[in-house]
Amino acid sequence: MEKELVINGYRKSFGKSLLYTLPVFLITFVFMSGGRPDFSDPARLVALLVTFAGMNLLYFLMHYTGRTDRYRAILFIIFALSLSFTLISNIVQMRNSMSFSQSDIVECRIPFCHLVIPMMIIPAAFTKSIIFPGSIIGGFADISSMVILWLFATIALGRGFCSWGCFYGGWDDGFSRIRKKPLLKKISDSWKWMPFALLLMVMLTAAMTLVPTYCDWICPFKAVTEFEQVTDTESAIKAGIFISLFGGLVVALPVVTRKRTQCSFLCPLGAINTLSNKITPFTVKIDNEKCTKCYKCTTVCPLFALSREDVNGGRVSVFCSKCGKCVDVCPNNAIHFGIKGVPAGSFRNFSRNLFLFVSFIFISIFSAGSIINTIQSLLNFIIS
Amino acid sequence: MKKIKIISGIIWAFMALIIILILFPGLNSFSVALSKLPFMKINPNFAGGDAAFSYVQERCTLVVRKPVFDGLLSERKHGFVQLDWRGELPDVISDTIDFDRDGGSDFVVNLKRNDAVTVINPLSDLVTGLNVSVPTSYGWTVRVGLKRE
Amino acid sequence: MAESFILGLSSGSVCLVTCGMVMFPYMMARTAGAKAITADLAVFLATRFLVYALLATIVWFAGQSLLRSPVFTNYTSGFLYIVFSIMLIWYAIEKRPSKTCPAAVVAKIEKRKLVPVFLGVVNSLALCPSLLLILTKGATQATLGKSYLSFLGFFAGSSLWFLPVPAIGLVKKKNVIETVGIFATGLAGTIFIIKGILMLIR
Ligand code: SF4
Ligand code: SF4
Repeated sequence: MEKELVINGYRKSFGKSLLYTLPVFLITFVFMSGGRPDFSDPARLVALLVTFAGMNLLYFLMHYTGRTDRYRAILFIIFALSLSFTLISNIVQMRNSMSFSQSDIVECRIPFCHLVIPMMIIPAAFTKSIIFPGSIIGGFADISSMVILWLFATIALGRGFCSWGCFYGGWDDGFSRIRKKPLLKKISDSWKWMPFALLLMVMLTAAMTLVPTYCDWICPFKAVTEFEQVTDTESAIKAGIFISLFGGLVVALPVVTRKRTQCSFLCPLGAINTLSNKITPFTVKIDNEKCTKCYKCTTVCPLFALSREDVNGGRVSVFCSKCGKCVDVCPNNAIHFGIKGVPAGSFRNFSRNLFLFVSFIFISIFSAGSIINTIQSLLNFIIS
Repeated sequence: MKKIKIISGIIWAFMALIIILILFPGLNSFSVALSKLPFMKINPNFAGGDAAFSYVQERCTLVVRKPVFDGLLSERKHGFVQLDWRGELPDVISDTIDFDRDGGSDFVVNLKRNDAVTVINPLSDLVTGLNVSVPTSYGWTVRVGLKRE
Repeated sequence: MAESFILGLSSGSVCLVTCGMVMFPYMMARTAGAKAITADLAVFLATRFLVYALLATIVWFAGQSLLRSPVFTNYTSGFLYIVFSIMLIWYAIEKRPSKTCPAAVVAKIEKRKLVPVFLGVVNSLALCPSLLLILTKGATQATLGKSYLSFLGFFAGSSLWFLPVPAIGLVKKKNVIETVGIFATGLAGTIFIIKGILMLIR
């Protein structure tokens, strides 16, 4: 296995790894338990302990093994699954079905998700209002908190949000890992510009119609969260689009290409996160002196962020989501997490430690609630 | 210059750390602050418009909202007026509405709740027909399509 | 009008890249400085505007005399939307290297001052699928005013792309604009296909 040949420069001793895990241990403990664990519901307590221990183990392993991507991916995928589970069970509890009805729209009860953000911008500027039938504050997935969460994360992590925060990205990340080798290797990377075209179109159509057109017509994740009841031909066409985009871009293509095709070719928020990559301090750097141009990194990059030209030019493109896959696979430790302004090759360990701390804190606290809920529900289900 | 770049990069990275560290403890207060900004309200096309006036009936209240024609830059040609019945509703509702309060009735709503059948009889040229009729947590809501004068 | 604007905006970039790149180096070769280019651009856009106004009038009257029944109008325009949208998508994705602007012929014109006028005329009349879609829309509008509005929307959307032309020397990522434009055109085509289907089945 080629991966075993990698001489990993980020491995730490057991004790040192424990030491690095300690701050995350304390912070996650405070946030998950509120400082005072609730002993009255055993299922909840077990769920909390499992989540807490699991997360800290993953963070420990990132330091102990020196690898990032596989442990990040475990949490990222579990987050995606558990969030869909939580969302669906919430919706089913509220309405006895996975689809939302006209009443939910009229009463503005639709849970908000960050993918709506690009479509809100122009109408908010011109009409001073939000074109989404959700709750501004309070209630499940309200607009204000979701916007704040995304805004802070995208400023701090840039497109790192797409590998360390987005509760949809885990779906195609998961499917892209099912096969060991890709069946389809040649895909033109010009498709990575599609999200920008889609961003332009959805922003304009949403502004013109005052309807979040991406949610209304395109979002593949409707297939795993909630969708409009099929009552006529139009809603049937919409449901067809949601399901085929999910089947094609989130399941089938990631399986055969080992790439995150939905995130690379469709998501308009991904395009905005790509732009915010310009301001975030964290990046991935290539040390030209160490790089032997083996191009292993370009092959594994799931987001078409690293072409051969990029490697030859000694820089990772703005599409990078800082997943760490290329860093893990590089046999010469030439590609590494870095900080903007700091030359490639220097402060490598420091940059990695700082970036992992920031991004892991974000994903662990953000995902904890839904993971705990899911485990608790599963435990309750098993017990009953 | 190189040193300045390195130092500012590292400072920015630490600021990113602080941003994430204050995010979760401060989430509630940040969200409340955001929700108070002038554009943080649901567009009337979804929310149904502000209440214009109400009729207090025997066991329920009928709230008539202001007509909604909101477009991006100007008013649209087609819009709607929303009616909310709140409280304990009778099985059959029949109300005559003068939504613009010009003294002339504009339409009659006939609603049979049990069969979920709603019929709108327009009495004015401005009324185009039924848009939405749904049960809600507070009673029932009907949206009636309108044309702008 | 909104739809026409979006269509103009999405296909305008391809228009700029295929046509603009033929026209403006030519214009720039003749003129010196951004001021003169801006003047040429103004003439070019004004000509386009006039041609569109003329087209709006012609197609609307043609539509009135040919497509009287609303059922017929819906079916015909639904069908034409689908056909022209497929053409639009094909036009966007096909990689024929000779995809150049019909306005290239203008380069042969002797009288230099008329160049922007001719460019405007030829560019507006280049029967690209987006224009065919707008012609269909214009022909099936209820009033002449609405037909004008459709063309105005298309004109505004597609002209936006030409506005930065005086600063064209500064545009570095031409291929990025072109790629995004091609995808946007394809998406606009898809929107119109769905619209066409909905018109047929409703
Ligand atoms: S590209 Fe979109 S769906 Fe994918 S991770 Fe980023 S925001 Fe989420
Ligand atoms: S360049 Fe590396 S870190 Fe960035 S997305 Fe690709 S594999 Fe992940």
